[in-house]
Order: sequence, then C-alpha cells, then structure tokens
Amino acid sequence: MVSISSMYTSLSGLNAQRKVLDVTAHNIANESTPGYHRQRVELRPIGVSSVAAVFAGQNSRVGGVDIVGVNRLVDQLAENRFLAETGAQGGTTTMRATMEAVELAFPEPSDDGLAAVLDDFFGGWSDVASRPGDPATRTQLLERAQTTVDALHRADADLRTISDTAKGAVIDLASDVNAIAGQIAQLNKAITGSANAANDLSDQRDTLVRQLSELTGADPRPQGSGTVDVYIGGRAIVSGNFVFEVDGAGGQLRWADDGTNVVAPPSKAASLAATINDVVPRYRTMLDGVAAQLVTQINTLHNAGYDPTGATGLNFFDPAGVTAQSIALSSDVAGQPNKIAAGAPVLPGPTAPGPLDGEQARSIAALAGSATGPGATYRSLVSTLGVEARAAVRRDSIQGTVTAAAEATAAEVGGVSLDEEMANLVAAQRAYEASARVMSTIDELLGTLINLGR
Amino acid sequence: MRVTNQMMLRSTLRDLNGSLTRLQQSQTELSTGRLVRKPSDDPTKATQAMSLRTSTRVADHRQRAAEDASGWLDTAGSTVMSGLDMMDRVKELTVQASNSGSSSATSRTAISSELRSLRDELLAMANTRYIDRPIFNGTAAGQAYDPTTGAYLGNAATVIREVAPDTVVQVNMSGEQIFGSQSSPEGDIFAVLDRLATAVANGDTAGVAAEHANTDAARLRMTEAVGVLGARAARVEDIRGRNDLQKERLLQSLSEVEDADLAQSLIAVKARENAYSAALSAAAKVIPPSLVDYLR
Repeated sequence: MVSISSMYTSLSGLNAQRKVLDVTAHNIANESTPGYHRQRVELRPIGVSSVAAVFAGQNSRVGGVDIVGVNRLVDQLAENRFLAETGAQGGTTTMRATMEAVELAFPEPSDDGLAAVLDDFFGGWSDVASRPGDPATRTQLLERAQTTVDALHRADADLRTISDTAKGAVIDLASDVNAIAGQIAQLNKAITGSANAANDLSDQRDTLVRQLSELTGADPRPQGSGTVDVYIGGRAIVSGNFVFEVDGAGGQLRWADDGTNVVAPPSKAASLAATINDVVPRYRTMLDGVAAQLVTQINTLHNAGYDPTGATGLNFFDPAGVTAQSIALSSDVAGQPNKIAAGAPVLPGPTAPGPLDGEQARSIAALAGSATGPGATYRSLVSTLGVEARAAVRRDSIQGTVTAAAEATAAEVGGVSLDEEMANLVAAQRAYEASARVMSTIDELLGTLINLGR
Repeated sequence: MRVTNQMMLRSTLRDLNGSLTRLQQSQTELSTGRLVRKPSDDPTKATQAMSLRTSTRVADHRQRAAEDASGWLDTAGSTVMSGLDMMDRVKELTVQASNSGSSSATSRTAISSELRSLRDELLAMANTRYIDRPIFNGTAAGQAYDPTTGAYLGNAATVIREVAPDTVVQVNMSGEQIFGSQSSPEGDIFAVLDRLATAVANGDTAGVAAEHANTDAARLRMTEAVGVLGARAARVEDIRGRNDLQKERLLQSLSEVEDADLAQSLIAVKARENAYSAALSAAAKVIPPSLVDYLR
C-alpha cells in the first residue's frame, strides 16, 4: 500500500545521505589537518521503537532514517598513551640537545681540546727541565700555562652559556604555556556553549593539550559536558574556563599565584630544569675538580721548588682560584719567567740547588702521565660525558619510535583514510540516487492513482 | 589494522629520514676519516683515544728530552776525547823532557811553554758549552773553571733527563770527576800541568818524574770518563730508537681505535646510498595511489 508518508521516508533518506556526503567532504578536506579525527554520521532507522510499546507494530506509520548525530572517532586509551609519550618525547629531545651542547664544550678526542692543552702545558715543564737556564723556554711555559687557564675559562663559560640559554627557554616556555592554557580555557567555554559542532573544537583543544603536554607533561582530566581540566604535576593549570598562570622569571617555572615551583613530569620543562639544576652544575663541578687538581698539585711541587736565584715558596697558580672560572697564574710568576721554580730542594736541608737545576720541573712534568693528575680527572669527565650523552641520544631515538608507534595506534582509529572516504562517498551517492528513485517511483504510483480517478 | 594515507606518509617520511641519517653518518665517517669524533660516538674508545693521544704527546716530550741528552753526552764525549789527544802530546813532551836531562835550557823552555799552552787549551776545553750551558759545572751558573786562575766554579750536582717512562739518565759529569779534584793532594790536571811545566823549565828531573806519574793518573781518569759518557750516549741512542718504535705503536693503536676503516666506510656509504634511493623510489610508488585515482 502506497502512502504519502513513504515520500517523507525517502526524504529522510535523501537528507541523511546528504549529511553523510557533507561529513565525508569534511573528512577529506581535513585529511592532513593536525589533530583532526575522522567523523561519522550516526544513523538510526525511524519506526523500530527501541522500547516495546502497545503501538509498536506493523501498522506504525513511521519510517525512514534519523540522523542521531555526528561522532568523532577517538580511541581514548590510544590518545592518552600518545599524549603521555608526547610529553616524554619533549623531555628526551630537550635533554639530547643539552647533552649535545655539553659535548661541544669538550671537543675530544682531538689535538685542540683541553687534553691537548694540558699535555702541551706539561710538555712545557719537560722543556724547562731540559733547559732551566733558557729564558725563551721559561716564557713559553708561562704562555702555555696561560693557554691552559684560558681553555678552562672557555669550557666553563660554554657550560654557563648552556645554562643561560636554558633559562631563556624557560621564560619563553612559560609564556607559551600561558597562551596555550588560555586557548584551552576558551575552547572549554565554547564546547560547553555549543551542542553540535563540538567535534572540531574538541580536536583543536586536544591538539593544544598535547602541545601543553610536550612542554610541561600536563595531563588532561575530562569533565562533564565535554570539557577537560588540565593538570601539571597534580596542580590545575586549566580548570573549566579558568587559567592558573605560570611564571618563568629567572629560569625557574613557578605558579604565578603563590610562587611555588612547578613540578613538571618528564617534558621539555622538566629537562630544562634538569639542564639548569643538574647537568650543567655537575659538569662545572667536575671541571672545577680538574682545575683544583691542577692548582694544588702544581703549587705543592712549585712551592717546594727553587727559582734560579734560590727563592722558594713561590706559587705557580693563584691559590685562591681553584675553580675553572677563577683559575689564574699567581702574581709570583705572572710575567716573570725567571721566577719559575724549576730547581728541586737539596736534601737533607733542604737547601737551594744550583741555579740551573731542573729537577722540580721534571717532577711537575711527570704529572702529565699520572693516574691521579688533572689529565686523568679530565679523561674521566669526558668518559662520563660520553656515556651520558650517548644514553640521552639513545633514549631520544627510542622515545621517538615509541611516540611514533603511539601516534600510529591513535591514528588507526582517528585518522582519515581516503580509500574509506571514497567508498563512503560512492555509497552515499548511490544511496542518495536510490532514495531519489524511490521518491520518483512513489510519485509515479500516486500519479497513476490520481489518474485512475478521472 | 586500519591504515590511513597520513600514517603511510608519516612512516615513510620517518623511514626515509632514518635512512638519510645513517647515510650521513657513514659519509661523515668517510669525510673525516674518523670513527670516534665526539665522546658519545663510543665513550670507551673516546677515553682510550684520549689516553693514547696523551701518551703520544708525553712520548714526544720524552723524545725531546732524549735528543737533548744525546746532544749533551755527545758534546761531552767528544770534548773529553780531544782532551785525551792533548794529554797524548803532554805525555810525549814529558818523556822528551825526562830523557834529555842534558838538553839545553832553550829546549826545556820550549817544552815548558808548550806544556803551559796545552794546559790553557785544556782549561778552555773544560769550559765547553752545549746550547749556551757549560757542561762540566753541574747545576751552577756561569763558567766551570775560572779561565785565569783555573779554580773550579761548578758543583757536584747531577743533571738528569727522563728519556723513557721511569728511565732517567745522568747526562753530566762534573769537572772534578773528569779533571780531578782540586782538594786532593796532587790537585787537578791543571795544577799538575802547571807544576810539570815549572819542573821542566827548572830542569827538576825528580819533579818531572813525579808529575809524570800524576799526568798518567789524570789521563786514566779522562779515559774512564770517555768510557762512561760513551756508554751513556749509546744507551740513550738505544732508548731513542725504542721511543721511535713505541711512538709508531702508539700511533698505530690510536689509528685502530679512532680511525675509520676506509674500505668498510666506502662500502657502508654505497650500501646506505642504495638503501636510500630504493626507499625513495618505493615511497614515490606507494604514496600517491588511493581510490581517488581509480574512481571516476
């Protein structure tokens, strides 16, 4: 039996398929939009009541298709994993950059790193041991000592630059974090306000949350009505429409309202904090160890030695400067090559040796190969650095693989497949054509019926 | 597994990037010729390379000290050798003077003055310098002997060179060791020659005979010194040869630790280049097609 209602049934089909075509077009258009999740029209037949009722039956006049809504396809578990890995990735990438910068401060093994400079310096002592009476050899030793001092200063300055750069990065990071948090809060508000188009807003917001996670290791906590609150280290940075800002002044990330430090999980912020508070101070301390050994070991021997005039108790390095930043030649010898105490005390006594004695210089030169000398300490610094830098590079490349895998898993559900969309397109087109055909058939049938009455 | 075009694009890009990174690594290896360029390339090898570099440089310093020792010992040896030649002439003259007791005063004066000039020459020789440093005066500054009075101005200190790890060589002998002590009863060679010349001039036969014995003793001391200096020079020469070998070995180990194997790197570069271009052409074929191309 043909009824007018069948016209409306096919109309609902036409509407539904047009919606499917719309959404397919939207999906294809956003195929490469970052953070976009494919959407699907949820359809439901009208007329099959989901609830058993007295009037539910064959005679029901209702028919057709109903558009329930447009859904975003999201695998929340995979998305959460991707989010966490993005934060970790931000951390490993930053740490890798830090370690690579630290490595640049210690160009080893080479013929122009600090190791070579130290060896040349001890070579200068060896030369003075051979020619204690030659002013040129003594002057050369002082110049090599100055080169060593400069090399230590430069390495220390390089390390401080790394720390300063990281502090600048924290300040930039704080303003980025505040800007992103502000946008998330705005989107939260927009999502609460809109009933329909929240899909695309949610995609935008999720992308921002991921950026925030990369910067600070933030984690989102979904609330009702599709909004999320965002937490960093257990403290909210976004709550509904509200933003709790952070402040990066002085290279330390703090909460703006009460000034306590932000405790960031593995992320760019955490790695920058580690650079400033752990990595750089640690290597500076190790470098200071090299400088301190150089100063104390040489001064001990130099103090006991005698210069050509028989003077003793002279310092070679300034005993006050025992860090890589403050090491300096002592005023006893600076600019006075003749004050270098190359002579060894004559025992028992001790009394001054002959003016051309070079035995103390020879003892100092022997520190070059000493297992407890500054050279060996510096080698252990480089060894530690090598192991740590290598680990940082490995961790970053492993994390890269893990992040990519997490992203792929998330994209498996949420990504747009052009093949699929094309198939949907064709299917919707055919379904549209079929519905239109049904409509024209009913039209003909009704026409026949009307003509029958003439 | 559901695969989307973006996923393929991204994973292809990542793989291409990985392939390119490896290609770049091999290429850097080849262009720098070094396997270990920074500590993180291989921390163990980097530390090893640093130790070897330090050892090489320390070996260089020792070799410089050994060269200095050689120069010093050779100068000292040849100086004392020429001193021995003079002592030969002294012996000749002494024998001549003691045999011709009847000879004339003129010839005695001639012998005496030649002995004096030999003594002066020997004294000048005792002040020989090596690179502007007197070699027979220990560690004292200035000259070994006063050129006019002949007084010893040096000391008995030793001068030492470290020529190899834990190997030291004394390169000097003091003037007193070679020419005799001035505090001994007969005095040093210069005092002996002085007295000899006087005895010859005076025709003092007993004096000449006594000093003759003393010159023989001095001559013996100098011969011994030549022996000692020669033995030390030979030892240093030997050590220098071994130092050269040792340095060769160090450089070889260093090369083994940190240098790239050229053939291996070349092959690696070639293989990775092939892998990269294969990946590129595969990507070019795989990425564009989708159903879009086939639905009309």
